[in-house]
Amino acid sequence: MTVSARTMAATVTVTGLSRSYGTTRALQDVDLGFDRGITGLLGPNGAGKTTLLSVLATVAEPDAGQVSVFGLNPRIKAERVAVRRRLGYLPQELGYHRHFTVAGFLDYMAILKEISDRHLRADEVTRVLTVTGLERLAGKRIRTLSGGMRQRLGIAQALLGSPDLLILDEPTAGLDPEQRLRFRELLSDLPGNPVIVLSTHQADDISAICPRVVVLLHGQVCFTGTPAELATTAAGRVWAASKRDESVYLSWRGGDGLWRNIGDQRPAGAQAVTPTVEDGYLLLSHAAGAR
Amino acid sequence: MTHIHDRAPDCTGYSEKLLAAYAAGKLSSTETWSIEAHVMACATCRSDLSAHVDAERLTRNRSALLVRLATGEAGLARRLLRRCRIPDYLVTLLAATPSLRRSWLLSVAGVLAVVTGEAALVRYDVTSSVPGGYIGQDFLVPFVLLAPLLPLAGVAAAFIPLFDPAYRLAIAAPFSSLTLLLARAVSALTAAMIPVACAAFLLPGPGWLPAAFLLPSLAVCAIALAAGTVISPLAAAIGAGTLWALPVLLLTVSHLPLTIVGWRGQAICAAAMLAAVAVLLVRRDRFEFGWMR
Repeated sequence: MTVSARTMAATVTVTGLSRSYGTTRALQDVDLGFDRGITGLLGPNGAGKTTLLSVLATVAEPDAGQVSVFGLNPRIKAERVAVRRRLGYLPQELGYHRHFTVAGFLDYMAILKEISDRHLRADEVTRVLTVTGLERLAGKRIRTLSGGMRQRLGIAQALLGSPDLLILDEPTAGLDPEQRLRFRELLSDLPGNPVIVLSTHQADDISAICPRVVVLLHGQVCFTGTPAELATTAAGRVWAASKRDESVYLSWRGGDGLWRNIGDQRPAGAQAVTPTVEDGYLLLSHAAGAR
Repeated sequence: MTHIHDRAPDCTGYSEKLLAAYAAGKLSSTETWSIEAHVMACATCRSDLSAHVDAERLTRNRSALLVRLATGEAGLARRLLRRCRIPDYLVTLLAATPSLRRSWLLSVAGVLAVVTGEAALVRYDVTSSVPGGYIGQDFLVPFVLLAPLLPLAGVAAAFIPLFDPAYRLAIAAPFSSLTLLLARAVSALTAAMIPVACAAFLLPGPGWLPAAFLLPSLAVCAIALAAGTVISPLAAAIGAGTLWALPVLLLTVSHLPLTIVGWRGQAICAAAMLAAVAVLLVRRDRFEFGWMR
């Protein structure tokens, strides 16, 4: 399916989206569609991931282009509020009122999400604490929490009100391997099949939970497809060898002690290996950098 | 030592049906108390009862209890606001206002104490050295300068994003930014005006002094909010503060700083406040942050 065909059919769409910060063009004419389920955004720092997610979360306005969220236009104030009623958002730099307790902060966020009844709020706060495994920390001050715990708290606040659209900017940053596994399980088990868009630097997060992946490079969409399709872009160009080869694009030593080489030419003595999502992503990054 | 399977001496055991009804919370209060008194002393029945307890429900109830305890916590500001019959949800939102925190209010009180004390000392010294006891108004200059600026600082802290660490989250939430801003601004203004009025009452100045700073403070805060719809909130607060400080300093040259809170000054403040409120009403959408540059 082409990007535009995918965009037309999707629940959340952006078309011709551009946004600059001063002379830096963060997004350039981006067309994308997001269906229900999880879409992973891959890209290096400065690729435009956070800007795109900020626009989807109605926090930033694009310079040009259209955004449609469940048929609502965020440019119109009433529709923007309607979008926010269906939104859960985890920004990359999440600020906390440090004097709040964990439950107090979630209570505060639940009010901002218009859950004004005290008992309903307590139930909702209890629910998100339970699903994120933070229930034992309900009375702890946020300033006493570790980075990973705070990240889980950020995820918990995004889940308040069971949103239809979940925007998560690097949700696995700061989580240890066990917490990441639990987070993946949590996202996969969310009821109601919401639209989830998450950005990450971790290619294994994409492989594990995202049926769709978008690669953003220099503010432009370089790839949309499944993780398997992304991996396939590097087919026949990934080689395992006992030594580094200078002729390839990229080369690094893996955990097995072998050098993983990405290049068009087979290095001497190297064997072709099955490419991963990371290989495909690195190859795309290299190609974009070479342009 | 009590073993987990130790049976109380008088225990004849409970039927499975009765224990299940207890675990489900379906018994009368008398039956419930009777079973509870017994299981406290009988490890065997406690063990039998545990088989009927829904562990998931127990965990849920425990979490709910923890949440109620954690969110019911009441600091000084919260208790005061609740006493004023402000709705619970609004109290929680206001509790996140930096200028309503104890440390902020103590700082305001501290500054006022220093200014008031200094004014009293200066007046005493001058009075004792001037024949006839007449003195000018110069000793009031620091207070006149600061009295509206302290409430302004409180209001500014309530609406400058820098002071709200969860600002981005608040933008992406559906709750009205304008409502949040106004609620915080009004409460911050009120909280700061009380010590200002108290300090003015203690100052050796004219009797109307405690009431004299209400209108100027309202005007300066309204101007800051209105300007915040055009320029950045920080620049708006600094601009509004300068609008107050400049005439005060100019009047100081003529040794008449109280002129600015005299009837002409009050009239100008009232007009400025009304104009600022009108601008605020017209441009209120600018406070619905997000989806803007």
